Amino acid sequence: MSEKILNCSLIFSDVIELEGSLTKNKINLKGEQGNFDGSIKLTDSTERLIVNLINKSDFKINLSLNIDVGPNCFLEIRDESNYDNGSEFKIESKLNKDSIFELFRLNKFNPESVNSFNHKIDLSGNCEFRDFNFSNGSQEMNSKTIISLKEKNASYIGSGAVISNSTNAKNELIINHLSKSAKSDCSFKTVSRGKSNITFSGMVFVDKDCSDTESTQISKGLVMDEEARINLIPMLDINNDDVVCAHGAASGKPDENILFYLKSRGISKEDAEKIYIEGFLGEFVDKISNDEMQKKAFNYITSIS
Amino acid sequence: MLEIKKLNVSVEDKHILKDLSLNIGKGEIHAIMGPNGSGKSTIAHTLAGNPNYLVQSGQIEFHNKNLLELDPSDRSLLGLFLAFQYPIELPGVTNATYLKQIVNVHRKKEGLDPIDAGEFLKLLREKSKRLDIPMDMHSRFVNTGFSGGEKKKNEVLQMDLLNPSLVIMDETDSGLDVDALKSTSEAVNQLRSSDRSFIIITHYLRLLEYIEPDFVHVFQDGAIVESGDKSLASRIDQEGYAG
Ligand SMILES: Nc1ncnc2c1ncn2[C@@H]1O[C@H](COP(=O)(O)OP(=O)(O)OP(=O)(O)O)[C@@H](O)[C@H]1O
Ligand SMILES: [Mg+2]
Repeated sequence: MSEKILNCSLIFSDVIELEGSLTKNKINLKGEQGNFDGSIKLTDSTERLIVNLINKSDFKINLSLNIDVGPNCFLEIRDESNYDNGSEFKIESKLNKDSIFELFRLNKFNPESVNSFNHKIDLSGNCEFRDFNFSNGSQEMNSKTIISLKEKNASYIGSGAVISNSTNAKNELIINHLSKSAKSDCSFKTVSRGKSNITFSGMVFVDKDCSDTESTQISKGLVMDEEARINLIPMLDINNDDVVCAHGAASGKPDENILFYLKSRGISKEDAEKIYIEGFLGEFVDKISNDEMQKKAFNYITSIS
Repeated sequence: MLEIKKLNVSVEDKHILKDLSLNIGKGEIHAIMGPNGSGKSTIAHTLAGNPNYLVQSGQIEFHNKNLLELDPSDRSLLGLFLAFQYPIELPGVTNATYLKQIVNVHRKKEGLDPIDAGEFLKLLREKSKRLDIPMDMHSRFVNTGFSGGEKKKNEVLQMDLLNPSLVIMDETDSGLDVDALKSTSEAVNQLRSSDRSFIIITHYLRLLEYIEPDFVHVFQDGAIVESGDKSLASRIDQEGYAG
């Protein structure tokens, strides 16, 4: 895989614009007034393609996208947009042998808007899908990702965080281990404030011939206010004995001893909570191996906590 | 500068401090000794404003202000510093970031701009060196996985960075090795001044040999039962509390 990097931008405005020129790789998206559909297809494994999604539209964004990452190819999608008028994403991805797909979403949504994100992704042999998603939630927020690890050595690493003051967010993650020797590692953290109600349901399915499976799923929640709610629902359906699994879910209020320690140093209640939240989320920003994005994720957390 | 009058404090419905009165003047060092469970940390936490310690009655004046009306952060900004007996771990936040942040809230109170990154590093280097704290400890999460002694040194470092006018050290010496005990005492002695006071809670004479206290109080069952000069500490060291 080449280290040559090609950067381009997909800009949602009245129509959809592509900035940057592509060689053999193809991006084909059409539409207007916020309704866009099309595909991204990578065949050139000599360069790593970074696609930045940029929202400049006054409409709600309805995006329907097909992604095909060819053998040995590397695709990175970064979405750091604000979606003021809501969004509805439907993505179907296919990773062909030895390919990598990194998806970063660091979004700020208008709390009054309605947003949804649906992603279905199939991984072939030796593929890796890295999925990192940070959001502030919105009035209605539904996110569903279905990952199928279809061949040997397919792996998924992902983490998500919702930090919200007023949201009704549902996050659903389904990981299907359909081949032996596949790995999945997921962490979900959420901070619920105000009257937010945040649900995470994570399902790990391991099919019966999937020996040598590794799967980790951790979900943690921090309930900051009396009326805030968090509901973590981990589910396991494991049909093979040769599986190394680490699963855990826990949510609760912040540790008063830590908050008192911070306050005893002169830090205000608000700042103490902010530092606490940053610490809570900061622990897993480490999972992002891409340095630049790790920094951005960290800044995102600081800006929102 | 600190006046405690007939203080009664309870924790979880248990009456701990009983009619405690104590005056600390400017520049004075008071040592408090007393058996386990006698309520020494309870005074420390009550002064710092830990909400688990309920003040049932009594008064505390600090710099002529009613301390009990202030929340913990305002007490700190007014110059009170508690070195915790059991420092708290704060995962996910690096020590350097944390230390800089606490320095900056105190600077803000003084009307100063946030400290420049380079200047802070210099300050941190200098103060860490004095306490024999390796710089790489600052890139770890606050107190997380620190050894007992490292946690205590980190408390002393915070004291040194914040320039408090009243320091309460709650068994800071427990867990420190001989050298660390010495460097901690040196840090205290350097900070010793006519307008800075100390309350030193300890079980051991050792620390008090380095930091010579002006007064020694013996604490038992939530109240001071005897006060004296530093010879009292020697007597307790030899005879124990029952003697
Ligand atoms: N959260 C709590 N719940 C119940 N009892 C408590 C709590 N905190 C303190 N106590 C009790 O209050 C009493 C005084 O405790 P304190 O920590 O002040 O003792 P101490 O003099 O500092 O002891 P040591 O020398 O062991 O540090 C003890 O009997 C202790 O068990
Ligand atoms: Mg104690």
